[in-house]
Amino acid sequence: MKKAWVIALNTFQESLRKKTFYVLLVVALVVIGASRFFSFLAAEDELKMIKDVGFASIEFFGALIAIFTALTAVSGEIEKRTIYPLLSKPIKRSHFIIGKLTGQTLVIFLNFVFMSLFFIVLLLIKKSPPDINIFKALILIFIELVLIGTITLTVATFATEAFNLIFSFFLYVVGHLISYGSQILERVENTLLQRLGKAFYSILPNYENFNIKDKVVVGVSVSWKYVGTNVLYGILYMVIALLIGIYFFNKREV
Amino acid sequence: MAIIETRGLSKVYTLGKKRQVVALNDVTLNIQEGEIFGILGPNGSGKTTSLKLLLGIIFPTAGEIAIMGENQFSIAAKKNIGFLPENPYYYDYLTGPEILKFYGKLFDIPSSTIADRTEELLNLVGLYNARNLALKHYSKGMLERIGLATSLINDPKILILDEPTTGLDPIGCKETRDLLIKLNKSGKTILLSSHFLSEVERVCTRIAIFHRGYLLTTGTLTGLLEEYQAENLEDLFVKAIEKFDTAEQK
Ligand SMILES: Nc1ncnc2c1ncn2[C@@H]1O[C@H](COP(=O)(O)OP(=O)(O)OP(=O)(O)O)[C@@H](O)[C@H]1O
Ligand SMILES: [Mg+2]
Repeated sequence: MKKAWVIALNTFQESLRKKTFYVLLVVALVVIGASRFFSFLAAEDELKMIKDVGFASIEFFGALIAIFTALTAVSGEIEKRTIYPLLSKPIKRSHFIIGKLTGQTLVIFLNFVFMSLFFIVLLLIKKSPPDINIFKALILIFIELVLIGTITLTVATFATEAFNLIFSFFLYVVGHLISYGSQILERVENTLLQRLGKAFYSILPNYENFNIKDKVVVGVSVSWKYVGTNVLYGILYMVIALLIGIYFFNKREV
Repeated sequence: MAIIETRGLSKVYTLGKKRQVVALNDVTLNIQEGEIFGILGPNGSGKTTSLKLLLGIIFPTAGEIAIMGENQFSIAAKKNIGFLPENPYYYDYLTGPEILKFYGKLFDIPSSTIADRTEELLNLVGLYNARNLALKHYSKGMLERIGLATSLINDPKILILDEPTTGLDPIGCKETRDLLIKLNKSGKTILLSSHFLSEVERVCTRIAIFHRGYLLTTGTLTGLLEEYQAENLEDLFVKAIEKFDTAEQK
């Protein structure tokens, strides 16, 4: 396991030495900050706007960081052939995957912390100290980001980098539309189609579960039970994805 | 006991649904401790495939591998192996010392030992002056050199090198040859693949010739020259391959 940590730190270091991380972070901060300039709005609307844009940016740019970091973590390693010397070292393939996951999660966390702190400072400047619901929304976004990264990592163990890139973004969009999808399914007449559709939707990650910003922004509070349940949902999903990733990577020829 | 053994080793690559490539066909080989064993063969004859199989990077379709009595996935066995891949590529955002440190840690080597070896190895492969340069600024030959250094970070008993002198200048080639002989004298078993017959001729104690996935022959250079009534290694190489191809046609 110590070796998994060595891999994790290397993955972390890699991200911090590449431009993608900083570019995305700066763009995110600019977007979050820009919402401040809607001061022509009434004070209340302006605050709502800051929160709306803040949450949406943290989620969206966080997802970009998660996907790109996870892509370089495993797909990049295979595509660039740095995996050959690595696999010849005394390290278990499962530890390699666990290390990569840990490393990319550190990157996602760092980025998330920067964005969130900036967001909170902005709220403080507007004399609206964040309440507990803001933190609940942030916790759920963080879990979503780690889950997005985990799935991209898992797909990397059996698919090409190009496929993975497209698939991850596809899933990001679909994962947010699941609730709409199941509503449409309710109206489908054909029961077989309905069942297939339901099975499909229950396998896909429901990213919308982690989205409570619409409520929080308008001041509706969300229970800890809801937060806890969905954190658990996220973690369970990650563990399963990780196991699948390890299974495929153990059989992967690079 | 042989330090590396393969029995009936075969590898079939599957490309898509129907197309298959037989890259290695029923290869049985023994490499003894203390040898410098050279694998020769035309392009696509299965040299890289067999080395990748030995390291557990790819999996055999049939056959078995034993390295120091253990299978190729054994963590214990891998502690004793240094590997230089064909056209090696490493994390290009790291410098020479950083890459050595990274691999050193994967071997659980104490930091102070890694530091000592880093200086020694960078000097050995002539990269000490480039120690602050990130690998993305390395030339092809420099990558080959840092690759050789990383393969030695664990002071391995077995060195497996896939075309170690490709991309090196003539002086680099000579230095590498001398280094291999020196490492061998200090007790390391070396398995290398190469296209350079003169190099193999000068350093290897025993050779194997691969062709289209088949192991044509193994033996000492003098033994094989006699067997095939060849004048030199090039002549032997051509004769062995011709003999196989004509036998195949019949
Ligand atoms: N990943 C792969 N998928 C499909 N076929 C492969 C793969 N890797 C190698 N091959 C095929 O296997 C055969 C042997 O390839 P290998 O790389 O072992 O040759 P080699 O002896 O190392 O050649 P070279 O001297 O050019 O390095 C070739 O026909 C090659 O096309
Ligand atoms: Mg080769």
